[in-house]
Amino acid sequence: MGIKYLREVELVNPVMVACWPGIGNIGLIAVDFLRRSLMAEELAYIEPWEFFYPNRVIIRKGVIMEVGFPGSEFFFKRTASRDLIIFTGEEQPAEGGRVYAEGSKAYRMANMVLDVAQKFGCTRIYTSGAAVAPIHHTARSRVWAVPNTARLLDELKGYENTVLMSDIEGREGQGNITGMNGLLLGVARRRGIDAVCMMGEIPVYLQGFPFVYPKGSKSVLEVLTKALGIFVDMTELNKLAEQSELELTSLYDKLPSEIKNQLDRLRQSTVAAPESGEVITEEDKKKILEDIDKFFKRGGES
Amino acid sequence: MDDYSIIKRLELKDSVMLAGWMDDASDIGQRTLDYIIRQTECELCAEILPDTFFPMSGVSVVDDVAQFPECKFYSSQHRNLLVFRGNIPRMDWYRFLQAVIDVAQIYRVKEIYTVGAMVSVAAHTMPRILVAIANTAEVKSELEPYNVMTDSDFETPAGQKPTLSSYLAWLAGQRNITAVNLWVPVPFYLVQAEDPRACKRLIYFFNDKYKLGVDFTGLDAEIASQNRKMAALFQKSPVIESYVRRLETGEGLDAEQSEQLVNEVLEHLKKDG
Repeated sequence: MGIKYLREVELVNPVMVACWPGIGNIGLIAVDFLRRSLMAEELAYIEPWEFFYPNRVIIRKGVIMEVGFPGSEFFFKRTASRDLIIFTGEEQPAEGGRVYAEGSKAYRMANMVLDVAQKFGCTRIYTSGAAVAPIHHTARSRVWAVPNTARLLDELKGYENTVLMSDIEGREGQGNITGMNGLLLGVARRRGIDAVCMMGEIPVYLQGFPFVYPKGSKSVLEVLTKALGIFVDMTELNKLAEQSELELTSLYDKLPSEIKNQLDRLRQSTVAAPESGEVITEEDKKKILEDIDKFFKRGGES
Repeated sequence: MDDYSIIKRLELKDSVMLAGWMDDASDIGQRTLDYIIRQTECELCAEILPDTFFPMSGVSVVDDVAQFPECKFYSSQHRNLLVFRGNIPRMDWYRFLQAVIDVAQIYRVKEIYTVGAMVSVAAHTMPRILVAIANTAEVKSELEPYNVMTDSDFETPAGQKPTLSSYLAWLAGQRNITAVNLWVPVPFYLVQAEDPRACKRLIYFFNDKYKLGVDFTGLDAEIASQNRKMAALFQKSPVIESYVRRLETGEGLDAEQSEQLVNEVLEHLKKDG
């Protein structure tokens, strides 16, 4: 059991971009879009048995033809500015019905990903995820950047549309990054590898729903490509983000007016430290989420 | 350290292993295998150790009694038979199933059969056709004389997961052991009750194929008892009888009627013990 390499390649000072699913699949959509746009080639994969329950079986004429597992795959791409290794995990190695991985399996998988990074001499790792924020879905998502060493803070401050945890009202530089996208940062730190997690904002009222949020992915990819010094045609992702906003607005318009009025207050809350007195409090946030939950449980009837 | 413990080593050769899971629809796995264990005088011979596969975080209480996961093997040297019945593990499924196959190999198992229920919209009085899913095409011809359906097509729908039985059969195939998943239809309104007809259909198959010498008197008595209870329910509630008759002719029920059928059958069977 372990890592299976599909080819031998020589890479020069590559950077790794790694991602697993999370809220709104913000990170995974961004990283997968990057992989597809660059037409990155298969490099290796992590054998799934130890980590995952099968996710599909194909039976033909009474015979089991195939049992499939969630993929954990590495790709590579040589670009003009730098070589890249891209890792995407189809699922987090979570157990007991949890969405996010934790414990020894999560730690083992993080180490396997970093084994590949070190084998090819990666000097930097990027992961990506979602930042649940009191923003409106019509607002541009910012990117919350968290490095695993203070040495990188100044560099991150220079990225456009990017904030550090200390820029977020009430956080004072504190927070958590749940699951593999966060754990990889920690395990990289333990190995002395620089790593940064870039989290695209998702509106607080969408966090509990199985919607993807490509607007957040778009923001992540804009910052990530700038950091990597590579160009990616964003047309397709822009369209996806616009389409998603239209669909969310259509759903939003069907919300009962008392919920909509509360959410409308988030339209003003698009900066890190809002100055208006009309912002959403923690208590408001809780009430909004409860109301939305009730709305969807009733089947969307207003 | 092994994930299993051998309690009694019996010499089997080219044996067959029957496997099933607790708490499936109508408790088919447990009821079917318990009946076979009793009838063939199988004795406890091995178990999978629970601590790796279940969260040791306390116990659940069912019908006033504290429960604890059990994954035990029973065997009969005389019948060249190994029976495994267990709770579905909560974690490390691959390692768990490898341990099950390790034990099967210690008892020189050549073929594995799993038993399980598939929920059906047919009436309980209808003949039960077993559906077999094999890990190799070769075994299908061996099943043909036993009135088993062997040509199903299936793909896991998005958002669902394959059954543990499919996973076991596939892993057994990786270790060159023939495995067959046998699925018996259970009417939707008996999923939370007993379905002795379904158990009998499965046991009948194994008895026929492997000459286990099973005495069906006990199961027949359970079927007769259920027939009496259902007849009493039909007398009390003609509308429930009409629903069952409609299912017998292949007519469907709407959601409300189906729910009424489930609730009344369950309440009646429970009340009458």
